[in-house]
Amino acid sequence: MNTYNPFNALLIFLGICLLGYLFFRPKHGWFWLIKNNSTTTQKVVAEDILKRLYHNENASNYLNINDVVRILKQDEKMVVESIDKMVTLGWVKMEGDIVRLTKSGSDYALRIIRAHRLWERYLADKTGFNKSEWHQRAERKEHELTIDDTDLLAKTLGNPQFDPHGDPIPTISGKMAKLKGVPVSELNTRTIGRIIHIKDKPDIIYKQIMAENIHIGSIIRIVEKSPERIVFHSEGEAFKLAPIVAGNITVSVLEKDVSYEEDILRLNSLKKDEIGKIIGISKEIRGESRRRLLDLGFVKGADVSIDLLNPLGEPKAYLIKGTSIALRNNQASKILIKK
Amino acid sequence: MKQKNIDNIIALSNDLRWQIGDEFHDNLAEGIYADAAEIVKGSVHKPNGNKRLRLDAKIDKVLTSKTWGFPLMFLILAVVLWLTIVGANYPSSMLGNLLLDTIHPALKGFASGIGLPWWLDGFLIDGVYLAVAWVIAVMLPPMAIFFPLFTLLEDFGYLPRVAFNLDHLFKLSGAHGKQALTMSMGFGCNAAGVVATRIIDSPRERLIAIITNNFSLCNGRWPTQILIATIFIGAVAPASMAGIASLGAVIGIAVLGICFMFLVSWALSKTVLKGEVSTFNLELPPYRPPRFWKTIYTSIIDRTLIVLWRAIVFAAPAGALIWLISNIYVGDLSLAAWLIQSLDGFGFLLGLNGVILVAYIVAIPANEIVIPTILMLTVLVTGISGGEGAGVMFELESASATGDILRAGGWTLLTAVNLMLFSLLHNPCSTTIYTIYKETKSTKWTVIASILPVILGFIVTFLVAQIWRLF
Amino acid sequence: MEVKPKSGCETCAHFNAAGLKKLGVNTTSFDHIIALAGNPNTGKSTVFNALTGLRQHTGNWPGKTVTRAEGAFEYNNEKYKLVDLPGTYSLLSTSEDEEVARNFILFGKPTVTVIVVDASRLERNLNLVLQILEITDRAVLCLNLMDEAKRNKIEIDSRSLARDLGIPVVPTSARFNQGIPELIQTISEVASGAIVCKPHRIKNIPKNIEKAVEQLSEEIRKEYPDIPNSRWIAFRLLEGDQHIIELLKSGEFEEFMA
Repeated sequence: MNTYNPFNALLIFLGICLLGYLFFRPKHGWFWLIKNNSTTTQKVVAEDILKRLYHNENASNYLNINDVVRILKQDEKMVVESIDKMVTLGWVKMEGDIVRLTKSGSDYALRIIRAHRLWERYLADKTGFNKSEWHQRAERKEHELTIDDTDLLAKTLGNPQFDPHGDPIPTISGKMAKLKGVPVSELNTRTIGRIIHIKDKPDIIYKQIMAENIHIGSIIRIVEKSPERIVFHSEGEAFKLAPIVAGNITVSVLEKDVSYEEDILRLNSLKKDEIGKIIGISKEIRGESRRRLLDLGFVKGADVSIDLLNPLGEPKAYLIKGTSIALRNNQASKILIKK
Repeated sequence: MKQKNIDNIIALSNDLRWQIGDEFHDNLAEGIYADAAEIVKGSVHKPNGNKRLRLDAKIDKVLTSKTWGFPLMFLILAVVLWLTIVGANYPSSMLGNLLLDTIHPALKGFASGIGLPWWLDGFLIDGVYLAVAWVIAVMLPPMAIFFPLFTLLEDFGYLPRVAFNLDHLFKLSGAHGKQALTMSMGFGCNAAGVVATRIIDSPRERLIAIITNNFSLCNGRWPTQILIATIFIGAVAPASMAGIASLGAVIGIAVLGICFMFLVSWALSKTVLKGEVSTFNLELPPYRPPRFWKTIYTSIIDRTLIVLWRAIVFAAPAGALIWLISNIYVGDLSLAAWLIQSLDGFGFLLGLNGVILVAYIVAIPANEIVIPTILMLTVLVTGISGGEGAGVMFELESASATGDILRAGGWTLLTAVNLMLFSLLHNPCSTTIYTIYKETKSTKWTVIASILPVILGFIVTFLVAQIWRLF
Repeated sequence: MEVKPKSGCETCAHFNAAGLKKLGVNTTSFDHIIALAGNPNTGKSTVFNALTGLRQHTGNWPGKTVTRAEGAFEYNNEKYKLVDLPGTYSLLSTSEDEEVARNFILFGKPTVTVIVVDASRLERNLNLVLQILEITDRAVLCLNLMDEAKRNKIEIDSRSLARDLGIPVVPTSARFNQGIPELIQTISEVASGAIVCKPHRIKNIPKNIEKAVEQLSEEIRKEYPDIPNSRWIAFRLLEGDQHIIELLKSGEFEEFMA
């Protein structure tokens, strides 16, 4: 008790706090670094290499060892050792400087991709993780799931065909639905298309697309195209994107005779005393939330109007099938209506 | 053979599911509603369309309006709390007189009359009976007022509107608007508040509401806050302002609790709970005039008595424990004195003392007996005159006499402030812990809900004590 | 198999008041199990209390009754055990309440399922009703809150509703005990088989799904010729209901459905 001094006590406390922060701060905390480091084994590196090779070869892009080291951002020695081992295992072969996938290597890569995309689908449908986290989490999980785990996962999810970004999920036998899409940046003005895929890499661009509230399944119409920007209309709103961002959004072009309906709006833009007819719920609302909305009567063709505005602006209460149901704006923005 | 057919059926269903695609659920739901619309068209005639009742719409317009929504809400909450706290005073003191000042001596007299040994008499009457009586006297009246009032508002249909008005605030901290109600319910009793979280049907938000319910100052803690504020805070203010100062301090603590609730909700939703499924929907049901007497009856039976019963079940052993640690001696010291000595150092760091910490440990079952236990233990360790004897909890009629005992126990203004803070930020009572376990069916969440507030309490009181002493 | 839908008034005369005894929570022995289902906020618990004489708390708030409450009454010397299921909007989702309600109607073998609906919001309530009618063919529709509907000037032709749904329809105002005797009489008639229901089956489903459901339920009927709700099982299998798949795999399904 003699040595007690409030100042020292505070100092010790702050020291403990600092230490705790250094250990557990998100991403760069020592605890996470140690944890992640211990999991970056040769298996993980090998699987990452296979995946990169697969994606690049699909785009007719052939990589040499230096490219692989650069892309993976891994220790050079480790990568070279891994590739050596993979050659003996018959997963890759060297053609001069170029690393090429063999058939078994490409099968293995597909299995990893299957695990990755199924896990993303699982995160989207059955958990509450934010979509900005799906990719990172799946990146780790894909190495942990065994073939049996993956099959079980596929079964419980009802053997889905697409992951939440719109990428096809390979089947057990390695079959994959083909995406026939065009990047938005390459469309001409007045083209109409449905968004079928949004690339989740690189992170910065993906986050920007998410911030714009653009989602898969929306029908868009290009209204302006210039080297600086691309403008399109969708669901009653105008979106302006830089071509590099637009390039990460893929649409399937719709036939000419499918008329783009200018009057399709998002429910949150409905005004008081207006009546809207529901066209559908965006694919962005999934799992439990989607079922709940359907159960509550937000089905195609139902009339909806605003029942109550909120003193804080949100949520608003909507009158649907005789009952007043409050929805937050992020939900209402994913329900499409026609006035 | 049979097994094979079943496997075939399951395999077929998997194939078909793949064929018909993702839209199955949507199509089914649409199909059912289409059938419903056809049936209704044939047999229901609605001259007013789907419009809501005029009166309902009018009430809603006022209750959720920009100007009136919030003032009305605070007014109603304030009236309910005021009625509860003030209205409970009279029946509480009456029950106290009856159970503590009349029946207790009578039981003592009876026990000595039939020649019960002193230890059995002390254990049963001074320990078990007294703790139970205390809990009933403090807990029953406010609950019997608060729950029926709350239930009336619920039955009328007002509470969903509160959730509607406040949802945006709660959304900012990752919670559900209905948490406003479970939180208010927590002002009555945290165990009841935890049960009430059933109305939140989104798993993540429900867990947040359960874990943070303890930050609502429950009616077992209001009297402690008021007593300590009257004695210590009121004393430093000029006499004319004493009442307002102490009232302000108590309200300040309650508001601080709400701030902690938002803060912790936000932190939980961003960390441990971010993977739980989160959905939102809130139906605003039509207003229905509540049936007054029936509501009162059912809310007393359903809520008040059930919670009271649980509290009694937990308080009885606590009373026994309190009596035992004060009367079992290890060497020269009673167990209680020994515990107090060993916790004094830690207590000092937190700006509290060993007595308070021991009282909070043995009074985990019920916050109601914290003050009586503190008084008894203070008398026990200081050896000043007063009190009823080792292990016999007591309270004094006058606040100033209570203050004298506490000051003799070494209390300062800092002790008082930190006691008020610690009373807000400490583990939930065992009734609530048990209820949390029953509601979540998870040891993990129960442990988090129990430990988190007490850690916060340690940190806050520690910081306050050090900074206080610096100046 | 003739449909004999009845509206409340036809049955008034038959009600035998002397034969009714409310038994409260005494559910020890019984002749019939009655399940009480319905949307939240339809006064379901009020109907439950009116039937059993219990005073379970009923909040004007969705999702109040989470656990199953049980009570009983006796009518014409037959004992009825009443099970109050959690109020749900639907039976198609995965939430805990819906699972409780769905499993009880499917596997709890209730003799009669009483579906309580809010007369002023019939259309949205029918969502649940039509789902329940896929599961069971012994059901009674309790058209509750008729007093509110009247204040809203809503007129409901309960005869044509009964014809469309294929089950008896009883208008009630449980808060004021109106229609409860008729409800009890109708429950007893469905329980005894005096009224035979021919429940409505969901029609407006896209062709490809209808075909899939048909194909699947035919297979199910081949395997389990006695179950009345092969279509519902098909719906659940297409939905990927793990609970049902487990039961099928372990062979317990037959026990439950027998």
